[in-house]
Amino acid sequence: MRRARTLAFLAAVMLLAACTQAADTTTAPTTDTGPATTADTGTPTTADTGGATTTTAGTEPSGGGLLGEVQSRGSLLCGVNETVPGFGFLNADGTRSGFDIDYCRAVAAAVLGDPEAVEYVPLDAQQRFTALASGEIDVLIRNTTFTATRDGGEGATFLTTTFYDGQGMLVFTDSGITALEDLANTAICVLSGTTTELNLATRFADIPYTPLTFEDNGVLQPAFVSGQCDGWTSDKSQLAGVRSAFPADQGGPEALTILEETFSKEPLGPAVRDGDSQWAQVVDWVVNATILAEELGITSDNVDTFADTDNAEIRRLLGLEIESDDGTAVFDAGLGLEPGWAANVIASVGNYGEIFDRNVGPDTPLGLVRGVNDLWLNGGLLYSPPFR
Amino acid sequence: MIPNARVPFWRNQRVLRGVAQVVVAAAVLFLLYVLWFNVTNNMRARGVRTDFNFLDQPFGVRIAGSDLSPSAPVRSALLNGIRNTFALAIVGLPLLTILGVIVGVGRLSTNWLVAKISSAYVEILRNLPPLLVVIFAFQAVILRLPPARNPITPFGWFVISNLEFHVPGFRAGDNYRPFMMVMLVAVLLGAFLWWWRTRVHERTGTPHHRWLWSLGTVALVGAIAYLILDRPLTITLPHLEGRVVDGGYRGLGAFFAVVGALAFYTSSHVAEIVRGSILAVPKGQSEAASALALSGFQRLRFVVLPQAMRIALPPIINQYLNYVKNTSLAIAVGFAEVTLVAFQAIGNGQPAPQVVVLLMGSYLVFSLVISFLVNLYNRHLRIVTR
Repeated sequence: MRRARTLAFLAAVMLLAACTQAADTTTAPTTDTGPATTADTGTPTTADTGGATTTTAGTEPSGGGLLGEVQSRGSLLCGVNETVPGFGFLNADGTRSGFDIDYCRAVAAAVLGDPEAVEYVPLDAQQRFTALASGEIDVLIRNTTFTATRDGGEGATFLTTTFYDGQGMLVFTDSGITALEDLANTAICVLSGTTTELNLATRFADIPYTPLTFEDNGVLQPAFVSGQCDGWTSDKSQLAGVRSAFPADQGGPEALTILEETFSKEPLGPAVRDGDSQWAQVVDWVVNATILAEELGITSDNVDTFADTDNAEIRRLLGLEIESDDGTAVFDAGLGLEPGWAANVIASVGNYGEIFDRNVGPDTPLGLVRGVNDLWLNGGLLYSPPFR
Repeated sequence: MIPNARVPFWRNQRVLRGVAQVVVAAAVLFLLYVLWFNVTNNMRARGVRTDFNFLDQPFGVRIAGSDLSPSAPVRSALLNGIRNTFALAIVGLPLLTILGVIVGVGRLSTNWLVAKISSAYVEILRNLPPLLVVIFAFQAVILRLPPARNPITPFGWFVISNLEFHVPGFRAGDNYRPFMMVMLVAVLLGAFLWWWRTRVHERTGTPHHRWLWSLGTVALVGAIAYLILDRPLTITLPHLEGRVVDGGYRGLGAFFAVVGALAFYTSSHVAEIVRGSILAVPKGQSEAASALALSGFQRLRFVVLPQAMRIALPPIINQYLNYVKNTSLAIAVGFAEVTLVAFQAIGNGQPAPQVVVLLMGSYLVFSLVISFLVNLYNRHLRIVTR
């Protein structure tokens, strides 16, 4: 009798709970719209300092999207790496440098007018998509490979590729290993939660090996150096960074060799959260602007010298006034950015070629050549849609 | 006042209590429902899957120390991780118990050196963060061993490198199964003899010789069966063939780093519990044992420790649970226990909320099983009142 009554009560409670569903759909409680501020690095985040040509203080937040949110916050939350020399690296003096870092600065320059208005959020490979989906960061620029499942299933939208990479294998020069097949029956070190891990399994499907998966390069490198694993696989650009920074007392860069074979496609680029196309377009066009600037010959040094140029595309890109029958006007692509944003970007970080050369080019310790990361005019893969 | 008048229901304590319970239950259910609704709704809004179908999808990568192919489902990979966590527990828990008891007793030793060494052991280990101990064991001990391409082979019995340890092992012969059946029967017989000798001892006071009877039976039956069945088991020594080590049993270096580090770390806490429990046994017990002319060891073994363990066991359960939870630190040195496998799955595109729920569930099961088992033993130890 008593049990029956309890059951009846429970049933009533469940019915009540079910009824509230309809009411809840309209006022669905949202967990977060304001991103949590996490480990920042002490970077000054004042939006109105620096040599910006336009002021953003009076900028109307454009709509309710992330663009408006970033502008009213006054800083960009950028998810980055801090262990890969040349791409995203935390220097001994506390500053950050690298190819990806420069793109964070470029986005901040475009959106806020100040390349320094970035709060860097260091992430490891496994945290990155959760951090992006949960709103902890605005944009993920952390040598992240563009794949279908990541684009489709992780709540992320991938944008224009900034670096076309491929996977390689790092071995000790004196190990006698010259091809991937020589690594049979050995252990291979790899970062967990990466596409490299998946490619390794695919490429070594018929070669017996033991994968040793580590969370970050800080533990992986000692394991590799001590000979626990005979090979270290990652994107070739990352391996070049590791090789360039290999300590001299352990033999220096010459002690290491990156094997010839490239066994995957790793297009690296920025990613944003699904569902905000305006913000995605902004980040996309920042990348395109750096490529276009190189194509048009605009550099950080000469960006101020185009005031009198006749080239209409340069005038449109840099936000210079354009003569028309009804007087002069400034071209606005409708991205929700101040005119002249691209000039800010180029003045702050330079064009694609400058970013490449500064961080990973032939004159840096990494010494990478442009290869496929060259303009389409030079036989590479970089091709920006027209700016009109 | 009318004696048989019914109390109105709004003043009936039983009804009021019932209503209060229902209200609280409804509030809890409602909160859970809002939480669930919120999570699934936001996940859907962000285009993240909310189902568990991913468990059937291929995991995509291999796991060190297992034969799992990359096309095995996520489910199998997670189970493999759970098995590795179990291996860490099954090796580490007895080890840390033995170490803890020895050091705990050592701290109370009248021998100055033993007492000081034990104190130093406890004070150093329990004041370090366990992650540091694990990383130290991995980088400063395991990685210092010879590299995998050039292992050492002590006595020809072992093959040791910083990647893997190989020790002699058994290899099954033709009659392996029948032999194991016979051994199972022999062990059961031995257990029965143990029980029988104990009973005889309790009834008549004659020496029980339990070890002799039961172990002797198992050994005798085993030896006869081994000869009749024509070597059903052979011992294999690990030996190097190029880069491949054949024969024997193997264990990853990272496994030993984790087990060693966490067993040492947790044993320092167990030692303190053991010391406190010994001190909690009334001094009169020890003095009475001395009066009966028991030796120092006998006093400890038959009088003090049995009473101390009764006090020590509940707090030791906590340390066991801590140990199991701390095995997740193996992720720092790349040993594929369940946390590492789960995070690997998340990194390779499986939905994080579901994987984390499964991960929490597996630790919950581990902890509940351990407390259940130790509580059973605790009940067994309880003072039997007649």
